[in-house]
Amino acid sequence: MTALLEIQDLHAEVDGRAILHGLTLSVPAGEVHAIMGPNGSGKSTLAYVLAGRDGYKVTKGRVLYAGREIAALAPEERARQGVFLAFQYPVEIPGVANASFLRAAVNAVRKSRGEPELDAMEFLKLARETLKLLRIDEKFLSRAVNVGFSGGEKKRNEIFQMAMLDPRLAVLDETDSGLDIDALRIVADGVNALRRSDRGMLLITHYQRLLSYVVPDRVHVLAKGRIVTSGGPELAQELEAKGYAQFEAAA
Amino acid sequence: MTSVPSIADQFTSARTGLPGAGRGWLDALRREALERFERNGFPTPKVETWKFTDLHRIAGLGFDNMPAAVGRALTQADITPHRLAPDCRLAVFVNGMFRPDLSDVERTEGLRIRNFAAADEAELHALATPPLAALEPRARSLADLNTAFMRDGAVIDIEGCAALAPVQLLFIASPQGGRPVYHVRNLIRLGEHASATVVETYVGHDSGAYWTNAVTRVEIADGAVLRHCRLQAEGAAAVHVAASSVRVARAATYHMFAAGLGGEIARNEIEVELVAPDATAELAGLTLARGRQHLDTTTRLAHTQPHGTSRQQFRNVVDDHAHAVFQGAVTVARDAQKTDAQQQSRSLLLSASAAVDTKPELEILADDVKCSHGAAIGDLEPEQLFYLRSRGVGEADARALLIAAFIGDLVDGIEGKTVQPYIRRHVDAWLGDLKLQERGA
Repeated sequence: MTALLEIQDLHAEVDGRAILHGLTLSVPAGEVHAIMGPNGSGKSTLAYVLAGRDGYKVTKGRVLYAGREIAALAPEERARQGVFLAFQYPVEIPGVANASFLRAAVNAVRKSRGEPELDAMEFLKLARETLKLLRIDEKFLSRAVNVGFSGGEKKRNEIFQMAMLDPRLAVLDETDSGLDIDALRIVADGVNALRRSDRGMLLITHYQRLLSYVVPDRVHVLAKGRIVTSGGPELAQELEAKGYAQFEAAA
Repeated sequence: MTSVPSIADQFTSARTGLPGAGRGWLDALRREALERFERNGFPTPKVETWKFTDLHRIAGLGFDNMPAAVGRALTQADITPHRLAPDCRLAVFVNGMFRPDLSDVERTEGLRIRNFAAADEAELHALATPPLAALEPRARSLADLNTAFMRDGAVIDIEGCAALAPVQLLFIASPQGGRPVYHVRNLIRLGEHASATVVETYVGHDSGAYWTNAVTRVEIADGAVLRHCRLQAEGAAAVHVAASSVRVARAATYHMFAAGLGGEIARNEIEVELVAPDATAELAGLTLARGRQHLDTTTRLAHTQPHGTSRQQFRNVVDDHAHAVFQGAVTVARDAQKTDAQQQSRSLLLSASAAVDTKPELEILADDVKCSHGAAIGDLEPEQLFYLRSRGVGEADARALLIAAFIGDLVDGIEGKTVQPYIRRHVDAWLGDLKLQERGA
């Protein structure tokens, strides 16, 4: 059986510039994998390629999600099939309330799964329960999407959206960056709460510290657009101690 | 097509049938206005304030300035969808002519509504006061044409502080062939400390070509507050030219919300003069243009006395090959110290072939004032679109969410419990059409 996410020899370019050079990776359902790498190694490119952002082009290789090629799908199509990207820099959308945005999103996903859409009351109930579970303030719902949110609030909003959309594959792009220790803990608790046997997670991070709270099943090191080594959680500690230089040289 | 008589010939045969005919001063006023129009013709882009709106497409067409008064037999059922609210006072004009059978203008405490034809001598004088007087003659020649042929319209007088239901003036065009012009002339007057909401609605009932040429004069006495709303939802083949001239007296307030989404070519001119100290004007407007529409909003705000406040917020959403124009001039006279004037226009272009022209102008002669203006033009943010789509929201829905957000605060800010949902309904319908169109594409 193929893994939930199966990336084979992926080459990708951004606006004509080659960034990924033969990346191979496999994330089975029920596992949390971490991808660590220095700046410029292609971490965010991988995240955007998986989410289907315009301008991020697969030039070679395959991206299989649940056994199917997704590289040609529109971003909304991937989301509806269960792929979620927590953004490194969540986007501010003035004038759109978090609740109306999220309800549109949740219902689009439900509709594609053949589930009935939620009316305003049902949505609110689900949203409140989820917020409570994640220990996030209910005021999040009435605020405009990410507008005036602190860095920590933005990241928590990503976790909230993830919980609401109930994805099968969650990609978290540097969700730990820019967080103080309390915010980091809340985000980590949220991620841990969402670990599930039928869900795969890919944590993209520069630092080891998130991995103290969310212990991954596997750690992969990305350098110059390729996975250069993989190992268990102890690999993260080693990186923290020795840095990336050895791997960059190897790549 | 049969040839249409020259405008001078049309005037000669029409003048004795025009309201107020036989009053020497009014006959002369009409004749002089016609002569000015004949001299100046349609404004061309060479006229500074008409730089972005070229009427050559209609200037050569033969318009009928005195169309037969008969319209299609409209009934209450045709009126109902356009009504602001069931309990509002309503004056209905079909093809520019008052229709008492479709109206509800019963006199109530503090409110009197009549039509032009029923106006007395003093009201005729007030109605005849020329609008846009500050402009050079060529810039106001369409108002001159209106003065020559003005035929009907509403005269509204509001006195006292009684809480009144909103008043709606509903102009329905149902052209019966040819190229009729409806020269509408309105007068709205608020007495001292009066407070009122007046909504002007212009709709086209059929797809035929016509031209609405409306002039509305507004007088707001000391301490009074007028909430004035204009909804321009003319038929697809219509030309709509409107000039509103507003005088705001001491400590009085004028609120205007103008929504423009109809017509093939439209020009909405709003001229506000703060004629006494402590007066306030708040103008907001929303233009939604698609297809090959050309929709122009032009404002002129004159601070002539101290301690005046003005706020202007205009937004354009432009799709397809449409073209929107916003011109806003603010003048602050030497005596208008402590003026606080702000103007902002923002435009959203939804297609590569959509266009916007904006021209803010400030002319400040006083030295102790606070004035600002800004104009921004942009596309939908790709980052925001991607973010929404990455959550499963389809592209058309994501665009609609962002467009609704672009204008949302402006619609939220509309004064009046009945007016806001009324405008929102039209805006939502427009956005709904857009979404369907994008899904189909």
